[in-house]
Amino acid sequence: MPPYKIMIVEDDPLIRSQLQTLLNGNGYVTLTPDPLADIADAVKDRQPHLLLLDIRLPGESGFSLCSKIRTFSGLPIIFVTSCNTDMDELNSILLGGDAFITKPYNTAILLAKINALLKRHYACGQEESLTWQGAVLHPESSRLEYQGRQAELTKNELKILVFLFRHAGRICSRSDLIDHLWDNQLYVDDNALSVNINRIREKLSAIGLDDFIKTRHRQGYTI
Amino acid sequence: MNTRLYWKNRIPFFLLNVLCMLALSFFLFATGSSPDTVLFIVLVWLLLLLLCTAVSCHLRRKELDRLLHITEQLKRRCLIADVMKQPPRAEDQVYRQILRLSEKSMLEEIAGIERERTAYREYIEQWIHEIKTPITAMRLLCENNRTPFTKELLAQLEKTDRYTEQALYYARSEHTEKDFVVREITLCDVIHQAVTDNKYLLMQNHMTVDVEESGLTVFADEKWLRFILNQLIANAVKYRRDDSVQSASPAIRFHMERRDGTVRLSLSDNGIGIPAGDLPRIFDKGFTGQNGRSRQGSTGLGLYLCRRLCDKLEIGLEAHSPAVSGSGRLPFPDAPNTGTTIILSFYVNHFISQVQE
Repeated sequence: MPPYKIMIVEDDPLIRSQLQTLLNGNGYVTLTPDPLADIADAVKDRQPHLLLLDIRLPGESGFSLCSKIRTFSGLPIIFVTSCNTDMDELNSILLGGDAFITKPYNTAILLAKINALLKRHYACGQEESLTWQGAVLHPESSRLEYQGRQAELTKNELKILVFLFRHAGRICSRSDLIDHLWDNQLYVDDNALSVNINRIREKLSAIGLDDFIKTRHRQGYTI
Repeated sequence: MNTRLYWKNRIPFFLLNVLCMLALSFFLFATGSSPDTVLFIVLVWLLLLLLCTAVSCHLRRKELDRLLHITEQLKRRCLIADVMKQPPRAEDQVYRQILRLSEKSMLEEIAGIERERTAYREYIEQWIHEIKTPITAMRLLCENNRTPFTKELLAQLEKTDRYTEQALYYARSEHTEKDFVVREITLCDVIHQAVTDNKYLLMQNHMTVDVEESGLTVFADEKWLRFILNQLIANAVKYRRDDSVQSASPAIRFHMERRDGTVRLSLSDNGIGIPAGDLPRIFDKGFTGQNGRSRQGSTGLGLYLCRRLCDKLEIGLEAHSPAVSGSGRLPFPDAPNTGTTIILSFYVNHFISQVQE
């Protein structure tokens, strides 16, 4: 599956570039057309998978853009706005927006919404899996496979392992890991993280993966 | 109407009558009438005079009392001049004129103040929307460059955002129109969003957060509910027990259950709790109480706004201290006499659930 293309229509240049950085960092390709240019044409031309649309734009408003785009495309559209009035929210639903996020948005929530929408619209049959040094992690079925042996993971353990697999080979600091877990609705502190890591290590040893997660003193964990 | 005063006001009129009576008696005597005749005429005169005054006093009192009653019944009493009929008496008409003039000037003044208030409120709302753009930019900058420094900054940004939201909802709670959308929402999702909104604040203060998994849904406005939860979470952090006093770390626990036709969401913390004397007043505007005085940064607005919004959404809101739990077990078994529990109860709309089934 090639990376998803996300088009950002936003008039504030700093927010635009920072959103770009954020989305690129999470494995998406970003398109940032000039908000004054013809956005509908740009959507036709470049066929993004998802559109992040600001409602208040210098030229045409996000709402009218949305209804224009809806005439030829059914791509998921997320409205982003700083005016969280109910009229806006209602309008965004009526005009065919798929989600409505108010500024200042939580990046975790934004990413989760993007991910959910992309999955719903472009669901592909095969299960996503992460591989590192022979160990295969199946997030959807919450299993870890190694040389034909399998370990069932709890929800929390899975969340930790997904983060480590995504940053395989690099050092993940404890605070970054905790940050990520909070974004994924697992509210752990330092001690609880250690407990969880130890439990994962025991499970991994049971299927023959000894010393898979290494502790780097004062730096964090790495696999 | 004061009857005695009415009679008192008639004294000059009575005196004039007495004078006339004297003059008439004098004249009658001079023309040779008998004293009996004169006495009879004077007595009849007096009787008629008193009778007439008594009747007119009674009628006038009835009329004025009715007017007073109408005024008291009016919702906007200042409009009485428009409601009352044109009085037949010349003096009364002048008084009515005076009333109308003063009413008009007052209404003009009120309209002016209302215009100013609306303009100010619109400016505040506008300003809040403007300020959100730089806050968003700062957040993104910090999230894209994570260091211990930017994490501190993020916690401060969360606070900034919470205060701006508070101002926004304060401005909105003042006017009466309903600007919310009631939809079916999953409680758990809103709680998770509210926790994520306060992530850095909670992490920096080493708060433990425990959200019980539950699929319960309620009918409410998501934004408003999230705002309410944000305020409650911020309070739980603000009034936490310092670690030195207690061995267990400060914690917040969310519990949801369905009971007696309501869905109850209780938010318990193991913080310093609320003194029993303060408990009935914590939702009052500007009330800070003992806790607020001992810690700075208490505005007495957060819980007041929560109550206002809950009233509008028809969500029940109650506070308990020490913490309690609906299911019979204590939220913090190792510290039974501490903390606070805030319970939000949502009425289950039977009509909607039946339609859905």
